[in-house]
Amino acid sequence: MSLPFKRVIQILPGIAFIAALLLPLELATRWNLVNRVFIPAPSAVFATTYDIIITGQVFAPLLTTLSLLAGGYAIGCLAAISFGILMGNYRRVYNLFEPLIELLRPIPKAALLPVMILFLGLGPAMKLTTVGLATFFPVLINTVQGVRAVDPVMINTARTFGHSGAAILWRILLPATAPYILAGMRISLSISLIVVIIAEMISANGGLGDVIVYGQRMFLVVESYAWLVIVAALGFALNFWFRWVERRTTFWVSPSNQ
Amino acid sequence: MKLVTPQTTPINGQSIRIEGISKTFSSHGGTMLAVDDVALSVRPGEFLAIVGPSGCGKSTLLQIIAGLIPPTSGRVFLGDKDVTAQPAHMVYLFQQYSKSLLPWMNVEENVMFSFTHREQLSKSAARDRCHEYLQMVGLTAFHSYFPWQLSGGMQQRVAIARALAAEPHALLLDEPFSSVDALTRLDLHALMLDLWTQKRFTAVLVTHDVDEAVFLADRVAVLSHRPGRIVDIVDAGMPRPRLPVTTHQDPRFIAVRNQLLARLLTKPDAADVPAV
Ligand SMILES: Nc1ncnc2c1ncn2[C@@H]1O[C@H](COP(=O)(O)OP(=O)(O)OP(=O)(O)O)[C@@H](O)[C@H]1O
Ligand SMILES: [Mg+2]
Repeated sequence: MSLPFKRVIQILPGIAFIAALLLPLELATRWNLVNRVFIPAPSAVFATTYDIIITGQVFAPLLTTLSLLAGGYAIGCLAAISFGILMGNYRRVYNLFEPLIELLRPIPKAALLPVMILFLGLGPAMKLTTVGLATFFPVLINTVQGVRAVDPVMINTARTFGHSGAAILWRILLPATAPYILAGMRISLSISLIVVIIAEMISANGGLGDVIVYGQRMFLVVESYAWLVIVAALGFALNFWFRWVERRTTFWVSPSNQ
Repeated sequence: MKLVTPQTTPINGQSIRIEGISKTFSSHGGTMLAVDDVALSVRPGEFLAIVGPSGCGKSTLLQIIAGLIPPTSGRVFLGDKDVTAQPAHMVYLFQQYSKSLLPWMNVEENVMFSFTHREQLSKSAARDRCHEYLQMVGLTAFHSYFPWQLSGGMQQRVAIARALAAEPHALLLDEPFSSVDALTRLDLHALMLDLWTQKRFTAVLVTHDVDEAVFLADRVAVLSHRPGRIVDIVDAGMPRPRLPVTTHQDPRFIAVRNQLLARLLTKPDAADVPAV
């Protein structure tokens, strides 16, 4: 397969462009054209990033953030998928909840953090709940849409062979809706990362958000930037991984990729 | 293709009897009568065709027989059993085969989807059964393909194999050959007859293609314009085995076909005037 090679050729100009942006910054810091206290040299930031990873400092905050993210994300997805299937199938359930959902959905979930802290404190419960809420809405909306788009012919095919309701749910409804659900989950993944980092910044008791703020408070500016690079890499890796999962699980959607 | 004479194979199908079937749809604030008091009796192992103009309620009637939608009034019996509004051991073969095959299952999984939940079969027994039916439609080599990797005609053959692998008492066919090209259609006709002579299930075929109805069926029921009601039942009874070229040229075939066409072309307001 020449596909990876083609991909490399495709992203090469983009990478060159990033390098072209970093180079003047590097020179400017070396020639003292900017205040190095606030804007460290990219090379220094990357060196520190490397140190943080090599010395293993990265693990504790990364693990904290990842486990909160995974927990809240899983809760949010499960709730949204179950609820979305109900709403998509039953008009009455939909009519009952739709106004409430349309009201809650536009709230930036990070704005809920003060209230969440009030009720749940600064611990993991607060973070899991907020991440769960941030995950919930995009997945819910997509699931409802997906369920509605399922062709009745598929459902009737299962019925004519005498399949039970449970079998129709697991073997028809869920796979047929999966492309929609996964698209929602991909959006939620980015939002959840934002929310978990902000929550950690505010509560300052561990995680990547905490170490970024700590760096800033202690004037460890280079460290602060280095952790930022790590968060960026994490976001990138998560998205990359998710797209891979998406292609794998719903391979029939764009078969030409096979 | 081997041809088995009907007499040698025991009949597997059960009779279908429908009584006083009517269906009213409510739409746009009003109600609309789609099927009007239809009664029909299909013998075990018989091949019955229902022809009628577009929109006369053929699909509605067939879905009621299949138990996929409930009738507004009337009863459906399979053998002696009242199976009104429940998917009994009948299989409905959809016109839209491309939507009916599940894209996340390969050919083999699609076929197994029709019977493994009903019968406790070992993995190898299930595969054997699957391959027996795939062989009948000539697609054994494609068992690991996904539906979207097959041509339209092949997809419909998979759908047919899947329907038959369920070994139903009756097969209900809703214009299953209307969306393939003419040559493939003739091929599928021959295949369907071959399978029917081998398995002797009861078959009810809905179509607006009169030639197809006469070629395949023992009897042909004619539905009127909407609301669909039976205006005639014609004994087509062409000798079997039926062959694509000779049967279509048989004078009897032409006579029956012309009679049916005349019946169908009668205008709704002139329905009481005897057909020419
Ligand atoms: N779910 C429904 N709700 C309302 N009206 C319906 C519904 N299904 C069918 N109808 C109406 O019932 C009538 C009969 O439809 P049906 O699909 O049974 O016709 P048909 O004979 O199969 O037509 P065709 O040959 O074009 O497939 C049509 O006028 C259609 O608009
Ligand atoms: Mg129809």
